[in-house]
Amino acid sequence: MALEVLLVEDSKTQAAQIKETLESVGLRVRVAYDGPDGLREAIANPPALIVLDVKLPTMDGFQVCRRLKRNPATQDIPVIMLTEKAGPKATMDGLRAGADDYIPKDIFASEHLIDTLQELGILEE
Amino acid sequence: MSEPRSPYKMRPPVLQVRVEDSMDIMIVRDTTRRAASLLGFSPAHRAQLASAAAALAELVLKTGEAHTIHLNGVVDGLKTGLQISSETPWLANFSPNNVLVALKSKMGDLVDEIILGSEESPTIVMVMWLNNSRG
Repeated sequence: MALEVLLVEDSKTQAAQIKETLESVGLRVRVAYDGPDGLREAIANPPALIVLDVKLPTMDGFQVCRRLKRNPATQDIPVIMLTEKAGPKATMDGLRAGADDYIPKDIFASEHLIDTLQELGILEE
Repeated sequence: MSEPRSPYKMRPPVLQVRVEDSMDIMIVRDTTRRAASLLGFSPAHRAQLASAAAALAELVLKTGEAHTIHLNGVVDGLKTGLQISSETPWLANFSPNNVLVALKSKMGDLVDEIILGSEESPTIVMVMWLNNSRG
């Protein structure tokens, strides 16, 4: 059975693009459109991986990541932050929040996402 | 095109990216992730290195002249690391201490070392060393 990814992304267009990338490598994808919904989904039904946007309504991705990493039910789930905020401070904020990778949404994002999925053992190389 | 310089012994990978416009910043970021991957850095540390290299590329782009970002492995005794460097001749008239303070304030959390080499032309050199927690 395919591994499941929880994608937390408020933009429906971007969620559809990222979902397509993840499904193209054989993963199943559930989408949550804001931080609190993402947290509820992660706790209720822990996925193999969480792909998390930074800019989210209500609660930003850094807060979501910190809460995921503090909760024993979700702390071991790898989190990849996929974001438009790519500067040094945002990168360190994401990694300090506990993210396993911090990938800017640029033209190489899909390749980097797949490389990291392989590195984390979510996908076979 | 400039040659990479380092206070350390250099080793592969040896890569370079010419930075001429904003698109090149993405290429710098991508190339840095790949170089860091070749050396065995974890995804999180690749992200740190890529962010440092992109910040350096943004800095050189602001001068309005094309520059080269060099990415190469370095060795110091038993330690292996990735070096990101670029010649920065426009810094020749600034105080090296002030430049280092500014660079460390912006990028100091991302790498282990930031050096301003000044043998011929000022060169910004940033290094992250590989260790067990980073691979």
